[in-house]
Amino acid sequence: MASLSAQVKGGIEDKAVPPDGLLIKTLNLWKTYLMGSVEIHAVCGVDLEIQRNEYVAIMGPSGSGKSTLMNLVGCLDTPSSGDYWINRRLVSTMSDDELAYIRNKEIGFVFQTFNLLPRASALHNVELPLIYNGTPADARIQLAKESLRMVDLEDRMHHKPNELSGGQRQRVAIARALVNHPSILLADEPTGNLDSATGQEIMGLFDRLHERGNTIVLVTHEHDIAQYAHRVIHIRDGKIAKDERTR
Amino acid sequence: MPIRESIWLALDTLRAHKLRSFLTLFGIIVAVTTLIVVVSVIEGMNRYIAERVANMGSNVFYVTRFGIITSAKDWIAAQKRKRILMDDYEALRAQLKLASAVGASSWSQSDLKAGDKQVYDVGIRGTTPNMINIGTEQVGDGRYISETDFSHRSYVCFIGADVAENLFAGSPLGKTITFRGQTFEVIGVARRIGTVFGQTQDNFVHIPLTTFLKIIGTNRSSMGIAVQALRPELMEQAQDEARLLMRARHHLPYSQKDDFGIVSSASIYALWENLTGTIAMVAVGVTAVFLVVGGIVVMNIMLASVTERTHEIGIRKSLGARRRDILMQFLVEAVALSTAGGVIGVLTAFVGTRIMAATTSIPSVLPLPAVFTAVMVSGGVGLFFGIYPASKAARLDPISALRAD
Repeated sequence: MASLSAQVKGGIEDKAVPPDGLLIKTLNLWKTYLMGSVEIHAVCGVDLEIQRNEYVAIMGPSGSGKSTLMNLVGCLDTPSSGDYWINRRLVSTMSDDELAYIRNKEIGFVFQTFNLLPRASALHNVELPLIYNGTPADARIQLAKESLRMVDLEDRMHHKPNELSGGQRQRVAIARALVNHPSILLADEPTGNLDSATGQEIMGLFDRLHERGNTIVLVTHEHDIAQYAHRVIHIRDGKIAKDERTR
Repeated sequence: MPIRESIWLALDTLRAHKLRSFLTLFGIIVAVTTLIVVVSVIEGMNRYIAERVANMGSNVFYVTRFGIITSAKDWIAAQKRKRILMDDYEALRAQLKLASAVGASSWSQSDLKAGDKQVYDVGIRGTTPNMINIGTEQVGDGRYISETDFSHRSYVCFIGADVAENLFAGSPLGKTITFRGQTFEVIGVARRIGTVFGQTQDNFVHIPLTTFLKIIGTNRSSMGIAVQALRPELMEQAQDEARLLMRARHHLPYSQKDDFGIVSSASIYALWENLTGTIAMVAVGVTAVFLVVGGIVVMNIMLASVTERTHEIGIRKSLGARRRDILMQFLVEAVALSTAGGVIGVLTAFVGTRIMAATTSIPSVLPLPAVFTAVMVSGGVGLFFGIYPASKAARLDPISALRAD
């Protein structure tokens, strides 16, 4: 009886809005897919807390559920059950358009394949998130230029992605992710398509961004890359297998 | 996303796929071109008919043997009608109360000779002296047929500008023309009228009606009686009065139809509008079919575009584009695409009608409301047929869209 009441009580307390500074909080997060008549549990009851200005790597072999978890954390997907707060907002029950707003305001994505619009200039690519929150054109260009300056690409802003090297493209993507000053930077295998020297260059940039106060969540399966983070979370079979502070 | 961004994006996409856009728009271009050309020609013809063909002089109508006949059956039946003769003219002139002037003329054709020069198939008109005031011809040089010429059955003539030019080097006044075995003195030359549908209107000779009847024979020719009503608003009443008089003269019972015709500018114009109305309706029908086909092609290409750009949509969604942003992007693109088709169609039609005006005598006037409507309608077609592809794009799941190549 005692343990049950404690659970209920705990549940109520956990439902409360997380304190300021706790950027990400998930509570018993599940994601279940239906393959024909078979239920596949990609994420099974994950409890995750990430503080402001943490530098976290999420590691796991392919099929471990780390991509699904990243999609949930990045608000690209909605959980089957469980609660998820980002920057003190409960997002697990939000509608499509509300999630779009959260993605725009709170999350900066950096993808393995860069995901830049091929026919738009670097500047226009960086402007995109600002277009979707209605920033006026002149302010938009100003902010996009500042963001490109942060990744040392101001002189390349009128180039299209195919006129840039892989490392430069990823820096444009990082500038785009940062332009709205999001709460977290969510990088999915950011060095996966780069040679190791360029990969190190990008990781150095992440280090600098972390020092400036950004919160970074890195999804990777490479130990070399994960060691840049200060905390490594290992995912196996949709569960957190190990959560260790490495620095 | 602001509409300006969407338009910019849409135009950029059109620029990137010029040939594909053009092929896509072919149906809409053809539809709009057809519509504008037909409407331009009808509009041009309308003005032309009103100014040139149906222009009989102000407040004037004609009482003729045949009137306006539009079928072969009516034409055969009308052959039995009585001729309109000098007696009818005199009766109308004496009895019409609502007419300010009543004139008469009769028509024939003849070859003309003057000295060693000859012209063929010139319209010969025998007229009453007041026809210069009732009809549209005007005296350019000399004078028209006088009452004295009329009562003396003089051998004088009033000629059109073409006749004057073709038969005489200098001034034709006082010179003579020979036709039907008689010699006529030229007393006046008409001011140049111009052409209607490429046909010159200046190839005529007027002689006194009395002289005309003497040469041709009194009973062999029918004539037209021209009546000028007192005031424009009395046109209908004057026509009724003339009709009543003619029916009484022809002893027509109440149940029988008129055995003569009354022709006015309004009745010619009404006949014309009846015809062009049918043409316009056919054109609108053809255009509607083309537009639907064009719209379906636009829908098809937009669906292909959505599939092709699934990855782009995924990127945009990951950066915070809402459903309505994506919806707007593709709707604006569809509207821009088809509006461009409309504009190209209008330009093609404009160039086409200019070429037609330069090479043929078909008149055309580009009516601005039709241009505006055509562009709006083609935009509307894009909007309608863009809804399905755009909503398909807007509903894409961000994750699977991002995974697409």
